[in-house]
Amino acid sequence: MDLCEPGRARPAAGTPLYVHLPFCAAKCTYCDFYSVPAEGHDLGGMVDAILEEARQRAPERPRTVFLGGGTPSLLPPALLRRLLDGLDALTGFRASAEEVTAECNPESLDLERARVLLEGGVRRVSIGFQSLRPEVLESFGRVHDVDQAFAAFAAARRAGVPWVSVDLIFAAPGLEPEAWREDLARVLALGPDHLSAYALIFEPGTRFETERRRGRIQPVPEEDELAMFHATRELAGGAGLDAYEVSNFAKNGAQCLHNVNYWRNGPYLGLGPSAASHVDGVRSVNVRSVEGYRARLGADRDPVTSSERLEPLARLGETWWLGLRLAAGLEPEAALAVAGLTGPDPAAETVARLVGEGLLERAEGRVRLTERGLPLADAVGREFLGLAAPAAP
Amino acid sequence: MVDIQHIRNFAIIAHIDHGKSTLADRFLEVTGAVQRRDLKAQMLDDMELERERGITIKARAVTIYHEVGGQRYELNLIDTPGHVDFNYEVQKSLQACEGSILLVDSSQGVEAQTVANAYLAIEADHALVPVLNKTDLPHSHADEVCEEIENVLGIDATEAHRVSAKTGAGVPAVLDSVVAEIPPPEGDPDAPLQALIFDAVYDEYRGIIVYLRVFNGTIRKGDSIRMMGTGKVYEAIEIGRFAPKMAKDLSLAAGEVGYFISNIKRLGDVVIGDTMTHHKAPAAGMLPGYAPPQHMVYADFYPTSPGDYELLREALETLSLSDSSFSFAPVTSDALGFGFRCGFLGLLHMEIVQQRLEREHDLDMIQTAPTVTYRIRMADGTEQDISSPGALPSPDKFEQVLEPIARVGMLVPSEYIGAMMQIANDHRGVFVRQEYLSPTRVQLVYDVPMAEIIYDFYDKLKSATRGYGTLNYEITGYHADELVKLRILVNNKEVDALSSIVHRSQAETRGRAAIKKLRKEIPRHMFEVRLQAAVGSRIIAREAIAALRKDVTAKCYGGDITRKRKLLEKQKAGKRRMRQIGNVDIPQKAFLAVLSGDEKKS
Repeated sequence: MDLCEPGRARPAAGTPLYVHLPFCAAKCTYCDFYSVPAEGHDLGGMVDAILEEARQRAPERPRTVFLGGGTPSLLPPALLRRLLDGLDALTGFRASAEEVTAECNPESLDLERARVLLEGGVRRVSIGFQSLRPEVLESFGRVHDVDQAFAAFAAARRAGVPWVSVDLIFAAPGLEPEAWREDLARVLALGPDHLSAYALIFEPGTRFETERRRGRIQPVPEEDELAMFHATRELAGGAGLDAYEVSNFAKNGAQCLHNVNYWRNGPYLGLGPSAASHVDGVRSVNVRSVEGYRARLGADRDPVTSSERLEPLARLGETWWLGLRLAAGLEPEAALAVAGLTGPDPAAETVARLVGEGLLERAEGRVRLTERGLPLADAVGREFLGLAAPAAP
Repeated sequence: MVDIQHIRNFAIIAHIDHGKSTLADRFLEVTGAVQRRDLKAQMLDDMELERERGITIKARAVTIYHEVGGQRYELNLIDTPGHVDFNYEVQKSLQACEGSILLVDSSQGVEAQTVANAYLAIEADHALVPVLNKTDLPHSHADEVCEEIENVLGIDATEAHRVSAKTGAGVPAVLDSVVAEIPPPEGDPDAPLQALIFDAVYDEYRGIIVYLRVFNGTIRKGDSIRMMGTGKVYEAIEIGRFAPKMAKDLSLAAGEVGYFISNIKRLGDVVIGDTMTHHKAPAAGMLPGYAPPQHMVYADFYPTSPGDYELLREALETLSLSDSSFSFAPVTSDALGFGFRCGFLGLLHMEIVQQRLEREHDLDMIQTAPTVTYRIRMADGTEQDISSPGALPSPDKFEQVLEPIARVGMLVPSEYIGAMMQIANDHRGVFVRQEYLSPTRVQLVYDVPMAEIIYDFYDKLKSATRGYGTLNYEITGYHADELVKLRILVNNKEVDALSSIVHRSQAETRGRAAIKKLRKEIPRHMFEVRLQAAVGSRIIAREAIAALRKDVTAKCYGGDITRKRKLLEKQKAGKRRMRQIGNVDIPQKAFLAVLSGDEKKS
């Protein structure tokens, strides 16, 4: 790993594009993404800064576009239009992208916003329901209620957004597996095209984690978490949403292409404060500060504050770790190619051992996690980090 | 040259924490050897570890000057360690002096180490100057402590000095007594040279610094010196005294204490206790040297990554230059690969060596639980000593296992007698006698297997007496008993480094405790880990560590990849610090914790 010159070279045409809008109505207690309260911030100034960064380095004709955050739907309609029009003028994404997603929260997704998004080129929205339990929503620090979540879903449908996804979190403290099944069934009854269902993570630096460390909240027992994990797969499958990744489920053809690219260890460019990029084998991150980001772009300085280039063996390990998250797994040869390696596969021995242990299986030239290996994806992925070069024959 | 009549060589002996180093600091200050502003607390404790833990590990020497009746005297103070483990160092120091200050904390009274060290000094024919310290404290009870000194040690303490080493009150008068009570050394500065090596430290730049006490003759800079024991010859490149920093001088004559440097680099070229003489005009015989140190406790050190074996060897060699009282020899374990079996004076000594290796040499090590030396009486009548449970021959090859027995003296407040007797019984102790030092303090003497002492005897004594009990021991011999090997199996594979030798009657309890601790220390794996304790083929305890069933990051997108990968790498590095036995990762801590009775470590 070495630190490289943060390059502002424009990535190849077609490279997926991510845009980070760091504003939220309120900070959720479990969230470790970079976000700040919208109030008191110059949202228009931020849109201009992002467009300035896009002018400098956004790829032409991106295959996919993803507006994340933060809460992109929080932007007033006029600003949303300015952002999407501006991006299209700079990249031509409306004509090129197979998929354009915007993350939305129930409190800010109404019919008008949904129409503005649709007119701006967005084809897919992902709505952060998170929970159907008022007490859980409260503990998460969410500013919407359950009815608003259902209303937002209906608005997206009525506006005619082609693909609608729902985000849920299970294993919240105190949540029983039976309650989770009920909630999930209600969400599936809406008929979403896509579902992301995450086990709650106690991320360092979040309020939830602090509370847990102080013993004020108890994570659910492992048995319960595992039961919810399996129930999710069962119920989603029954509703025609197949698991294509650890926490993601989709109707046929509705997989999130933008995210699949992450798991295939593909390139992408991120715009906005704290956005990450992966271009020409270099991973970099923009400054994690609204003011810092605007100041740098205003002064024509690079917004990137850290970057690393992985050695081929490390890239190979990373490719396996990420790729095994996909239900389809990965082809060993494709992983070698991503890492820029030829010759004997340094991962072959590890694969063989884990197949022997019943954690991986081979199918049609691909390698994937078994039923037992799936909930151990990190433990399995760890085995691929720190690979050694195979001994010369 | 100082007239030998005006030299005094003395040590300070005390129980740990009775203020020995503070008193030495005060001596340096009142004699002007060190200005107060330059005085770091515990001037003589050079090692970082010594200052940090407030204990003296190595003996140190310093020369100070003190005037009595218009005459200037050269006083050589040799500092001594106070902990039970370092009796050997104390003995070495005492042999270089003619007298000792017996220092007792007047708020605590006579303690086990006070007794042990006083006996060592009496054996060395020392004149003793009793001093009561901390008399400024409100709970000082100097009169009773004087009585204890008289009752226990038979030393007249009516004239004992009452001082506060902290404030310096009464300290100059102690030096007057050193001059008056301790005889000057005997010896002839013109006789053939005989100088005792009583210590040596390794200096990275100057080689070995030899601490010497001249008994006869005079050593001069430039002299050609022969070590009588090893036969090696060196030039006296530099000699001098400690004032308290090393100060060069041209000569050291009979009665004096100082140092000798000759660019000696190699381990083993300097033997503590050896006699130095002139190469050209040697002395007729050697001074009485030292018995080699008696190792009470053994433990194995293995490098965490097998590739660091050579580094560990070099570190042990370097460390043995400044600590001649531990031993090391290569050893191989099925589970842990190549390492070293090290012999120590005691548990504290073991802990200090381990910490010095880690700090001074930045080594990651696995240390096995301490064990003692067992004597095996073979079927053919021969005997052999083993210092590792793994070395126990198969049961048909030997008749008996003998274990070292220590005579243990415990000084405890009388209200704890019952509790202490219970603890001694639980540790297979045999009552020897009981004596009252004063109406409130009792000395209990038991014969206890050394293996029990290193298991958790000391911790139990401390907690049962709320920290007031103190303990001293010496090995008195070997005793045959019903000792069996407690085997530990991890996923059906015996792990020699986790096995131990225990008394048959304790096998079940100890086996269960060991397995319980292992269960806590070994992380969950992707499969079930079975733990068993066995004597012979009989399983006496078993536990299982359930397989890990969930280890997956729910959310992993473009912005998370670097951070999440680094987290996984960190977890993986943690795994690398463990030892893989079969396919089970066992953390370093487990090897030490499994066989120690110390609950804190589990």
